[in-house]
Amino acid sequence: MKNKLIMAIALVMALVAGWTATTTIAQAADNSLAKVQKKGTLVMGTSPDYPPYEFQATVHGKSQVVGMDVAVGKKIAKDMGVKLVVKSMSFDSLLVALQTGKVDMVISGMNPTPARRKNVDFTHTYYQGGYSIVINKSDKGIYKDKDSFVGKTIGAQTGSTMYNESKKQTSGTTVKGMTSVSDLILGLQSHKLQGVAMEKPSAQAYVANNKELAMIPSHFDLSASDTSASVAFAKGSTSLVAAANKSVDQIRKQNLVNKDYLPAAGKYLKTNTVNTSMFHYWKAFLKGIEYTLIITVCSVFFGFILGVLLSLARMAHGGVFATALRWLATAYVEFIRGTPMMVQVMFVYFGLGLIVNLPALTSGIIAISLNSGAYIAEYIRGGINSVDKGQTEAARSLGMTSGYTMRYVVLPQALKNIWPSLGNEFITLIKDSSIVSIIGVSELIFQSNIVRSDTYRGVAPIAVIMVLYFIMTFTASRILNHFERKMQHD
Amino acid sequence: MTKPIIEVKNLAKNFGDNQVLKNISEQVNPGQVIVVIGPSGGGKSTFLRCLNLLETPTSGEVDFDGQDLTTLDTKKVNTLREQMGMVFQNFNLFPNMTVLENIKLAPMKVKGVSEADATKRAHELLQQVNLDDHADAFPTSLSGGQAQRVAIARALAMDPKVMLFDEPTSALDPEMVGEVLNVMQELAQQGMTMVVVTHEMGFAKSVADRVWFMADGYIQENNTPEEFFGNPQTERAQDFLSKILM
Repeated sequence: MKNKLIMAIALVMALVAGWTATTTIAQAADNSLAKVQKKGTLVMGTSPDYPPYEFQATVHGKSQVVGMDVAVGKKIAKDMGVKLVVKSMSFDSLLVALQTGKVDMVISGMNPTPARRKNVDFTHTYYQGGYSIVINKSDKGIYKDKDSFVGKTIGAQTGSTMYNESKKQTSGTTVKGMTSVSDLILGLQSHKLQGVAMEKPSAQAYVANNKELAMIPSHFDLSASDTSASVAFAKGSTSLVAAANKSVDQIRKQNLVNKDYLPAAGKYLKTNTVNTSMFHYWKAFLKGIEYTLIITVCSVFFGFILGVLLSLARMAHGGVFATALRWLATAYVEFIRGTPMMVQVMFVYFGLGLIVNLPALTSGIIAISLNSGAYIAEYIRGGINSVDKGQTEAARSLGMTSGYTMRYVVLPQALKNIWPSLGNEFITLIKDSSIVSIIGVSELIFQSNIVRSDTYRGVAPIAVIMVLYFIMTFTASRILNHFERKMQHD
Repeated sequence: MTKPIIEVKNLAKNFGDNQVLKNISEQVNPGQVIVVIGPSGGGKSTFLRCLNLLETPTSGEVDFDGQDLTTLDTKKVNTLREQMGMVFQNFNLFPNMTVLENIKLAPMKVKGVSEADATKRAHELLQQVNLDDHADAFPTSLSGGQAQRVAIARALAMDPKVMLFDEPTSALDPEMVGEVLNVMQELAQQGMTMVVVTHEMGFAKSVADRVWFMADGYIQENNTPEEFFGNPQTERAQDFLSKILM
């Protein structure tokens, strides 16, 4: 099973741990089932990059998440008498999203390891899988199972059970970890890897859709819990787990996964690979551009306002209040500039999510605005300092207040001086906005990953978004230059 | 006897350990033109800047129209400041605005004058300084003399009771000094109260009512121009005058 270790989420977990300990959403008297039934929807979190478990497919012209896990989710929701809502995010983020109440359950080929059981509750197993190794068809006959790769390299998803078991159960073999399965397949085809360990159904899907590939049995020695998939619920939501278990038991008893769900998923996979030209996916890319621009423009706008306020606070003088303000603003700027934007994005989405439930897009815009504001503040401070002191004196001698002087005399001139730096920040943000893909905002990087897993084509979507990013940044820099020329009075 | 418009009492100003102004007490009466002269570094500019509180005095009083500026809050200082126009050595026009906008800004934002009225008044002032044809020019396209005349018009737009000039011709090319001094002379003839820090002795002689000679942080001599230039009382002034070409 996909078994990304808690390692990856430990950082965010640590940040929110203090709050989770006190809030413990789930440990309140268990009315979890009643709550779900009252709101009428069951929100399922999943990471749709893992066919045939879950993946994106174009259904009736619309891109949506499908796969056997979604079928399981639908069955559970239907049995509870509510509607299923599917929320996509990266695998690393799923359990945090569950603990912070962003989703009601997680179905993402997740196996119930003891470590996970400490943090969430699992249903019975709905599917028992196994591991295979995917190889290039041309190598068929050279490799037989996990022991054939002495002196060679095999790949697996970083932090997954496959990754750990590959390391443990092979000797003389290099094990290379990558984040996504499509990257691993790309590594295989470019002969950086000789084999990729993954789950049997996934291996079957890849081999069925790519004539260059073949699969061999892994012969890993595995316990049942390492290969089983369960549905995760928030800790303590016993009534939800009990209700879901009824559905899961039916699925097992009637063999629904093998009989219905997997064949249906296979059909979607086929429709996906009928037309893999990049033009066919123009809608997906367009949506990505749209969100990238929304995030960038909003973040620059709010970041600028925040930056002005911060820079003024940093220059405040006179009185205890002004000193406190100055220290606060300085501390903020230093802290934001000293921590990675990715961590800030995750902190806003999951951390603040404990207090107010913000959608991913809003969280992304907030996080990037907060980040950008710190940088813009420094630009503005430099810009204000670059305006001749005589300008302030002239304005003050005319009876203008310090506020008016700043607004009508100093800031317009400072803005002109720092315009190139601000433009730079804008262009940087167009590119850096890609970070919000980790919380599932469908900006350009996120969309390209979907297209990659949809089409089983590794490189083409990357080339497409590279060109798209360049078109956006180049256009932006032309527009900014135009305004810069307009501001040149002297 | 008329009440003085500006009265300075025991004014002192330190920059760190450096005592720039030491115990100055003088008065300016309405309609008077005071010319402050003296060697560089003698505290002339600092003194002028203390009059409208661009520099905060270390001790002493600056009374404007009977009110001690050093005891007032910022808001009150702002409203009294608008009655004291100031002209700077480096003009300090706002480079991001046209000549007309430079003049209109303060009346509209501070006094709440309507755009139409402010524009009308700005054109009148530009005519007064012979620059109405440059109303839509940006400051950087002006010569130094033109820029300084715009700066004077800008200060006048607030209808000040007093005009402070801080070496208004020091940054100008020699051939442009005259046009600025002419405008100042006209202003003096119209009865404007003026305090002028300058090195233009000719201007001091012909326009000033009183000459204040300032050196070493004191006003060493306060005299009529005729007496000061013809018969200086202090040794310091005699020494200064002997060194400059008349």
